[in-house]
Amino acid sequence: MIRFEKVTKRYPGPGRPALDQVTLDIDKGEFVYLVGTSGSGKSTALRLVLRELRPTTGHVHVAGKEINRMAGWKVPRLRRQIGTVFQDFRLLPNKTVTENVAFAQQVIGKSRREIGKVVPETLELVGLKDKGDRMPDELSGGEQQRVAIARAFVNRPMILIADEPTGNLDPATSAGIMNLLGDINQTGTTVVMATHDHGIVDQFTKRVIELDHGKVVRDEASGSYGFQH
Amino acid sequence: MQLRYVFTELRTGLRRNLSMHLAVIVTLFVSLSLAGIGILVQREATVARDSLGDELKILVNLCTDEDPSHSPNCASGEVTADQQQRIEKEIADSDEVASSSFQSKEEGYERAYEQAKRNNTQAAFEGPDPVVTVERWPAAYWVTLKTPERADGIISALEGLDGVSVIKDQRKALGQIFGIMTVLKYGSWIGAGFLLFAALLQVTNTIRLAALARRREIAIMRLVGASTLYIALPFLLEALVAAIVGVALAAGLLAAFQYWGVEKALSDHVQFLPWVDWGDYTQALIGLFPPGIVILGPALTLIPTLLLTRKYVKV
Repeated sequence: MIRFEKVTKRYPGPGRPALDQVTLDIDKGEFVYLVGTSGSGKSTALRLVLRELRPTTGHVHVAGKEINRMAGWKVPRLRRQIGTVFQDFRLLPNKTVTENVAFAQQVIGKSRREIGKVVPETLELVGLKDKGDRMPDELSGGEQQRVAIARAFVNRPMILIADEPTGNLDPATSAGIMNLLGDINQTGTTVVMATHDHGIVDQFTKRVIELDHGKVVRDEASGSYGFQH
Repeated sequence: MQLRYVFTELRTGLRRNLSMHLAVIVTLFVSLSLAGIGILVQREATVARDSLGDELKILVNLCTDEDPSHSPNCASGEVTADQQQRIEKEIADSDEVASSSFQSKEEGYERAYEQAKRNNTQAAFEGPDPVVTVERWPAAYWVTLKTPERADGIISALEGLDGVSVIKDQRKALGQIFGIMTVLKYGSWIGAGFLLFAALLQVTNTIRLAALARRREIAIMRLVGASTLYIALPFLLEALVAAIVGVALAAGLLAAFQYWGVEKALSDHVQFLPWVDWGDYTQALIGLFPPGIVILGPALTLIPTLLLTRKYVKV
């Protein structure tokens, strides 16, 4: 589903590359933690998958397509197959929960009928069936992150990318979010989660890919966080 | 594509950025009005030149039977072929003349008739026994001078020739009129140019502000796979609305200028000049060269919007 072949990403200016000859393979339906210290290259790897960046050398394949040389007009179609969740939720403060989730469908031109069907289903999946009319600032952090996950999943993407999704949440709420991501993974969606949260990685054991100074230093099928911060 | 969503965003965008949009509209209105007036003045200069000749030209009317000038050169009546040959030779030999062309009786008559119709004074040309007829209209030479200052030699040479009825030398009067028109035309175009540049900067600022206000929405749209066109559409429509309002106001002002300024005031007071009509007004609106305000307005707002949105909403 995601393949990096000797991918190097160098930003302008001096210094070492953000990613250095990284090769990795993530299959369809896998749940993978991407761990490492700040500056290890986790976010760069995620941005390469989203085609927000292009590698300096090497090849990135997503959903069977090499995306390095993908024409700009094809990028939106690629992104419709990828859902994205962030640490800071990134909800639209002037829209209700339902409107926030529906927004992801409206802007890719889905019909009102389809939106009317899929959005309530997705809100039910994330446990917010009764909170569709609330504004984001009326929700707890965990609930806001559920809205963000609903928005990322509403178009039923093949891949869900989560960049520190539990970074702003307490352990109990984080566990709830992890269960939700696990449920989404069970539907066949590949989940790639960048995290610093060793408690979560150790508790919800999955494949772990560790990056250090832009290189893959560990890739364990059922690993632990591995180092403390 | 959900048009409802696009129009909701358009409404929100217009409301959120109302003061900037008003600034763009006012600037566009004034600058397009000036550009339109510039075009009308240019059309007026063309109309006047077509009808009266330009300041480099003198008109040499040849004698007709019953010549109204009663010039001694016309004592033998209608100009003869020999006389015409001598006149032609005199013009060709003059070092003050750049070129010349012959205008037959029919061509001259047609031209005068067209001008009379433009000014609504064609009565003399019509009816069962018209005062002005092709037979009574003189054939003529249009003589183009090398410079408007030097014409004395050719005029004095022609004045004494048999077959020459009248020499119409309107260099001074026409030179002044065309001079004023040139100043007006370039003045309004320079003014319009500065203001259109200001409009361009305002459009740029408006888009920058709108993109800033919508940065979170835009970021999410990009992430969930909205196309560039879909993201840019509200911006483009906002620019189009500003352009349409600006163009409509300018077109209204130009129509008022044409009706009250040209038709009601100038045409009545300055009758020796033919004046621009509604066809020329239409040219000022939708002409291609120079581009009319209906083309200028949207181009000046949509092109920078397209370029800037490509920068701000690039996927």
